[in-house]
Amino acid sequence: MAKKELSAEERQERTLSILTPVVSVLLALVIGAIIVACLGKNPLQGYGAMLQGSWGDASKISKTLERSCPLIFTGLCATFAYKCGVFNLGGEGQFIMGGCATACVILGGGIEGPAGLALGLLAGIVVGGIWALIPGIMKITRGLNEMITTIMLNYIALYFMEYVYKMMYSDQGLPKTVAMPKSARLADLAGTHVGVLLAVVLGVVVWYVIFRTSFGFKIRAVGMNPVASRVNGFPVKRLVLLAFVISGAIAGLGGSVELLGRTPYRLADGFGSGFGFDGVAIALIAQLNPIAAVVVAILFGTLSTGGTMMQSVIGVPTAIMDIIRGLIIIFAVAGMAMIKLPKIRAFLTNRKQSKKTEASA
Amino acid sequence: MDVFLMSLPTILKTMVMGAVPILLASLGEVFSERAGLVNIGLEGVMAIGAFVGFAIGKMTGNLWLGLVVGMLAGIAVNLLYGFCTVTLCADQVVTGMAINILAPAIALFGYNLFVGSNPANATGDQMASLAIPGLANIPFVGNAFFNQTLMGYLAFVLVPLVWYFFKNFRFGLSFRSVGENPQAAETLGINVVRVKYLACVLCGALAAAGGAFLTLCYTPIYTDGIVMGRGFIALATVIFGRWSAVGVLGASLLFGFFDGLNVALQAQFQAAPVMFFKMIPYAFTIVALLFFGSKHAGPKANGKPYFREMR
Repeated sequence: MAKKELSAEERQERTLSILTPVVSVLLALVIGAIIVACLGKNPLQGYGAMLQGSWGDASKISKTLERSCPLIFTGLCATFAYKCGVFNLGGEGQFIMGGCATACVILGGGIEGPAGLALGLLAGIVVGGIWALIPGIMKITRGLNEMITTIMLNYIALYFMEYVYKMMYSDQGLPKTVAMPKSARLADLAGTHVGVLLAVVLGVVVWYVIFRTSFGFKIRAVGMNPVASRVNGFPVKRLVLLAFVISGAIAGLGGSVELLGRTPYRLADGFGSGFGFDGVAIALIAQLNPIAAVVVAILFGTLSTGGTMMQSVIGVPTAIMDIIRGLIIIFAVAGMAMIKLPKIRAFLTNRKQSKKTEASA
Repeated sequence: MDVFLMSLPTILKTMVMGAVPILLASLGEVFSERAGLVNIGLEGVMAIGAFVGFAIGKMTGNLWLGLVVGMLAGIAVNLLYGFCTVTLCADQVVTGMAINILAPAIALFGYNLFVGSNPANATGDQMASLAIPGLANIPFVGNAFFNQTLMGYLAFVLVPLVWYFFKNFRFGLSFRSVGENPQAAETLGINVVRVKYLACVLCGALAAAGGAFLTLCYTPIYTDGIVMGRGFIALATVIFGRWSAVGVLGASLLFGFFDGLNVALQAQFQAAPVMFFKMIPYAFTIVALLFFGSKHAGPKANGKPYFREMR
């Protein structure tokens, strides 16, 4: 695709779409600081501890990256689906089923070594895709709202995982699975595991597919206007289904990577908890740009790991980070809507025009 | 069969208990969707209602005050949704999702402060059941339907009121017109924006009441994720109930029944993998949607932003 000259309006839109999330993050941090100050604690000390706890030294950096890794996967999962107009809230379920599939292949099949690793990852991709295929089929055949079906499937996946770690591969009756064998784990890489690199590379690949291939163009076209796409001869239903499957496969791979890459290398209560919604938040803040999603996911990871340090230093519950996350997304959503309002739009163009006339006068 | 008959009272009791929070939330959603606002943030509003109801009830010892403050908190959160979707014309689904992330976070933060400062706060009080003399002694159904908390009775009493409001009140009709065709409603002199905000207030109050029921009548504790997808199930009940109060009541009881079945099966077969029983309400939601969820029903302007300037 040749680079085309951007008009002034397009350039302005682009600036605004980058500016809005940045301003949202800053605003959310300011409000977070106000809450901390209201509790009688020093917010600057708190944020200092947050940065110290997430980026302070090599081991903390690797911890932050490991925490961000699953969020990158679920963020990309939500991004890809929403690009095709599909609101996949089932990232968590697909993530969990991916992890379960990996556990079943490796523990059930007794496969170790690189073969176990490869088959485990493959199983995660396939089962994650299948778990998203179910709501996909229900959407294109019966027109069911995918938001409700994917959430219901999340709970079913959650209980299935409970079955896996309590009944199938329980570690001596404890509510957790046996740890994955060492030989089948992901290799270490500069303090973290290879999965982090894989996630970042996947971000670039998803970006390329969405923005630089004809398949991605069709996906985006369906997301923008399914009727026009159908008139244009695009197989809309097949594309929607593919968007479901690919997005589920991404989340499923995330589950496998999480299981094989991060200590304790087991399924247990809380595995994947909340990652699906976080992924949706990441996708929305990133304006559905896969590369931006990677950045936002790392920001979320920073908030999570830093929150623990903040709690131990100034004694504010880590849930403050969840509030900050929630505020970021609400500001981003409101901000993006605001700049699209006819009134604000007119105001922005007027200002630009008056500037121009001033300059020419 | 004997086993089934034996556990029938348990099933019915849990059915009615389990139906109330879903019923309240879905009545709220009926108001919201009738005014053209699809609010998928119910889950978050319920979480806020559950926590605030729990905390205020525990602090003051007055559970009804807890309920009222919880409802006010729900209204506040839902007005945020209203501001984004009605005034800023933001995407309703996206905004609802943002509420689903923000509201439980606020509730969790409040909970950590509330219980962290004093671990004795972890368990709250429960509303007492009021048995209606005579009726409560009817076999099977008596204990389930006529031995509830006052809040439960009130939830069921709301159903005919809401139904009557939409059917026979002039304002109820203009309310519906906003969801069907806001442009036409506006030309008839209905203040569309005001109706939409009113819908947000009602939806927030009812959904938060549904959440508060969970902590004031269902279990005496608050935990993160206590709503357990009930907000989304309520969205589904609105679809089965065909956007009418009576339909929603039937759908909620049906969901409550499967919840009760789950509880009874768990009690009956303790050695079996009980997680599969816990899946029942969620799996049923999907199955029910497959059979009854039609995409062509519902208010016509549902989910669409309303730009007053573009009339």
